[in-house]
Amino acid sequence: MLSVLIWVPLIGAAIVAWWPGEISSLHLRRVTLAITVGLLVWNIAIVTQFNPDLDGMQLSEYVPWIEQIGFNYQVGIDGISLPMVCLNSLLTVVAIYSSDRHIDRPRLYYALLLLINFGVTGTFLAQDLLLFFLFYELELIPLYFLIAIWGGERRAYAATKFLLYTALSGILVLASFLGVVWFSGAATFGYEPLREAVLPLGTQIILLSGLLVAFGIKIPFFPFHTWLPDAHVEASTPISVLLAGVLLKMGTYGLLRFGLGLFPEAWQVLAPWLATWAAVSALYGALAAISQKDMKKVVAYSSIAHMAFILLAFAAATPLSLVASVCQMVSHGLISGLLFLLVGVVGKKTGTRDVDQLRGLLNPERGLPLIGSLMILGAMASAGIPGMVGFIAEFMLFRGSFPVFPVQTLLCMVGTGLTAVYFLLMINKVFFGRLSERVENLPRVYWSDRLPAVALAIAVVIFGLQPNWLVRWSEHNTNSLMLGARRSQNIGLVNQVNQTMTLPMANSGVIDN
Amino acid sequence: MRDFLLESCWFIPLYGLIGAVLTLPWSVGIVTKTGPRPAAYFNLLMTVLAFVHGSIAFIHTWNQEPQQLILPWLQVADLNLPLEIEISQVNLGAMELVTGISLLGQLFALGYLEKDWSLARFYGLMGFFEGALAGIAISDSLFLSYGLLEMLTLSTYLLVGFWYAQPLVVTAARDAFLTKRVGDIILLMGIVALSSYGEGLTFSQLESWATSVTLPPVTATLLGLALIAGPTGKCAQFPLNLWLDEAMEGPNPASIMRNSVVVAAGAYVLIKLHPALTLSPVALHVLVIIGAVTAVGSSLMAIAQIDIKRTLSHSTSAYLGLVFVAVGQSHVDVALMLLLTHAVAKALLFMTAGSIISTTQNQNITEMGGLWSRMPATTTAFLVGTAGLVSLLPLGTFWAMRRWVNGFWEMPWWLLTILLFVNAMSALNLTRVFRLVFLGEPQQKTRRAPEAPWPMAVPMVSLSVVVFLVPLMLQQWQLLLSWTGPWAASGRLGIQIETPLLVLSGFLGVVLGLSIDLSRRWVRPAAKVLRFLQDLFAYDFYIDRLYRLTVVWAVDTFAKITSWFDRYVVDGLVNLVGIAAIFGGQALKYSVSGQSQAYLLTIIIGIGLLFLLMMGWQ
Repeated sequence: MLSVLIWVPLIGAAIVAWWPGEISSLHLRRVTLAITVGLLVWNIAIVTQFNPDLDGMQLSEYVPWIEQIGFNYQVGIDGISLPMVCLNSLLTVVAIYSSDRHIDRPRLYYALLLLINFGVTGTFLAQDLLLFFLFYELELIPLYFLIAIWGGERRAYAATKFLLYTALSGILVLASFLGVVWFSGAATFGYEPLREAVLPLGTQIILLSGLLVAFGIKIPFFPFHTWLPDAHVEASTPISVLLAGVLLKMGTYGLLRFGLGLFPEAWQVLAPWLATWAAVSALYGALAAISQKDMKKVVAYSSIAHMAFILLAFAAATPLSLVASVCQMVSHGLISGLLFLLVGVVGKKTGTRDVDQLRGLLNPERGLPLIGSLMILGAMASAGIPGMVGFIAEFMLFRGSFPVFPVQTLLCMVGTGLTAVYFLLMINKVFFGRLSERVENLPRVYWSDRLPAVALAIAVVIFGLQPNWLVRWSEHNTNSLMLGARRSQNIGLVNQVNQTMTLPMANSGVIDN
Repeated sequence: MRDFLLESCWFIPLYGLIGAVLTLPWSVGIVTKTGPRPAAYFNLLMTVLAFVHGSIAFIHTWNQEPQQLILPWLQVADLNLPLEIEISQVNLGAMELVTGISLLGQLFALGYLEKDWSLARFYGLMGFFEGALAGIAISDSLFLSYGLLEMLTLSTYLLVGFWYAQPLVVTAARDAFLTKRVGDIILLMGIVALSSYGEGLTFSQLESWATSVTLPPVTATLLGLALIAGPTGKCAQFPLNLWLDEAMEGPNPASIMRNSVVVAAGAYVLIKLHPALTLSPVALHVLVIIGAVTAVGSSLMAIAQIDIKRTLSHSTSAYLGLVFVAVGQSHVDVALMLLLTHAVAKALLFMTAGSIISTTQNQNITEMGGLWSRMPATTTAFLVGTAGLVSLLPLGTFWAMRRWVNGFWEMPWWLLTILLFVNAMSALNLTRVFRLVFLGEPQQKTRRAPEAPWPMAVPMVSLSVVVFLVPLMLQQWQLLLSWTGPWAASGRLGIQIETPLLVLSGFLGVVLGLSIDLSRRWVRPAAKVLRFLQDLFAYDFYIDRLYRLTVVWAVDTFAKITSWFDRYVVDGLVNLVGIAAIFGGQALKYSVSGQSQAYLLTIIIGIGLLFLLMMGWQ
């Protein structure tokens, strides 16, 4: 089942790219849309097959590949990757739907989008370290081209910057993975066998540091973040949606799965530093967002701030905070996707995204009232107003992290308070006031422009009102990651706080060393 | 049937929300043929349903033990978040107040916003407002109350920003949201901490937890301060008070709600939190200080305002300040009574203000005059509202304050002074406004003012009747001090000077208000001291400058520094590395000379270095 999810986009990309004969842009769009909608449906089928009460991977598939070095095609899904894969499918559909109908070089464009889908899905499903790395690197290339070909004015600069940064990230991932296998003397790159391996603490810390920098670039955290605002500003709207919504999650996913999963002892040692790092990054992103003039940059810096909360949750590594971190990934994916879509519509219709030039866009006759209303909704969701998914994810996250790192959690909450500041300032400037003369004759906004945003907004509200539908998938699996982390207590590296948090089941379920 | 209506109380807040959702087709613009009116009617219908349902349930709660309803919501890891609702007399009474005032306010809006093009949006927001408020009234869980308070923050933002094209509205909406948000975030921190320490977030659980737990004093103090921060923002108390004044730029029917029940919602949550606050004596002291400062300061600010809505809104802050003092002194019943009586009287006063504004198209009281003969119903309503708010005649607030001064406790002298001061100032202010607006010669803008149309007059007159009925209601609910109560036996009967003092202060205020010279034009006093005082009060003690010099400055500066750092240091470093790499490549290009000797030399030097390095390593 899972392989379908991975390989169909690749086949789709091949079809779109090499279908013989002339084919119009609209047709290509329809074909791609059909493929991705099919994938979304397939995804829903997987959700129905998935049993959230089981430990470990489900629907696993295993095909030996290069057995000499222990590299196999091994995929599986669990409660952490399931929401990510669904998010990816959903946002890919949204991205394709909101792509320009008459885009240049449609074949290449849609093929690249499908390739990204292929790479990302593979990353979330791979259960083999080398396989993960391959998919992780693979997604770079299509994204580079998507920014470099269909981007804005400074696209070459932004795309190159993105490529260099993330290539460095990839190298570090590879180095750390090779290190794990090398030092543990394992005969395989399989994830589960490597979790059992015990490494000395010093080695663990070095390897974990490599992974932290690698994924820190991808997520991104301060000070490795400068590629992100540039990439967002230059990328076209659908690409921004994908980039913020899904691609950044590959970093947090990797950090959770491999950082916390493979190096529990080192993780505990570094946890206080990581929490502080998260707080700094959150405040930095929020403060930087306040003085941005480009709407896309505001949303991009807001991404940095919100992704930092996830690191806080990882650092705390309580059962609640880990579930919350998965929720926060989904919530951020939906909300930032929504915001980028809306900013994209504003940019497309008015021709500018400069907050100093735009004014009064809520005007009911000649402005963009519905887009403005959705923007307010998105901003409020991002600022953590209850009733939307951002609130409950962040509440669980802070509630889960507070017992372990109270000060850092409070600082992060200040960051979430600042969210309201920068988004409100932006909305006030752009949408309130008298419509500026510059944008008086706006082109019409069609329902097709609004539809994806409305769909995402509904998802944001529904998950906000009924968070159970989001939470129930991951609880069991994040708990089992916790067990891995708790294994270290047997070795003797006892973290005082975590000990008090130990649940009764820790005694029965600890992996025996 | 009876049980069903009682059990289904939790549904009452949803009426408002359903009404709000039903307006969507009109406010989004899907239905344009009918005009926005049907949306308003839907909402009115929903509010009537909520009111009727609530009333029946309220009657049935009589002589019944409070019941708790638990709606399971979220259960994950060690966090359990059900939505608890308590069905008790007080809660349902509060809900009745909310739905009642909402109903009258919405009826009023039918007249006030008659020609507004986005009536549907307004009613949608009012439905949202009402739903959140009604939810707070019956909520028994701090978590749920917090969520609903945030919904209030959001809808306040949207309602204040209703006429978003006006420049003052833009800043007012922003300030209202951000000021409240400051309080809310600190409250959220408190909730996160409470939820981590405590066993649950219902108010009764908090109460039992507070009595059993021993926290380090610093933690307890911080927790207490965090919990009062939210209500401080909501109730427009110092230092988070300016938003309410600015929020007067919004449409009047929303102001009716905001100044009566919305600010009360914050105080209501505070009252429910009171048992948890007792953990920290410092927090209670702070509460008293905040309340006292606001009560005195806002009373002074009110008398220097010339915008009819702002004169009233500052007085709202002042009365809510008294409520804060009452909670800080643990006089919870007085606080509740004050909230009720103030809400009813203030709602009426705001209706009269709305009626005046809509017929004169003017908010400046120095440009009004002589309206009494032209708007008799409004004049009467204003007088009734004033009587309800000032402790002079035996209407609402008089009884609340009397209960306070003649309660079972010793009244500290400073508290009595504040009370008398606020009462006198309130009387002075309202008398001043009355003289300027209704008495004197008609001016240009008031010469042709008609009486308000019936959609505004009907709710105004009905609410006037309610103000008269408030003392009866209080008696019915046995909230009044009985003449034979414990204080009668306390032996202090002979020296009851507080009540006469209270009446005297009100009387004094009226006399002062009648005697001061109110020149028609906006004349500045010649004396420098007076001029300074007038400016000080009129510009709200320059608190906005205080904000600008502290919080706003800090955030702005940090943002600028971060942005600069980001652009020139972090990104600059990255670009530097890039340029260095390119430059290095370019430079090395010139070493390609084509002379094999040079290559050989380079190779030998390189190998030599490597060799040395390896030797050193070993």
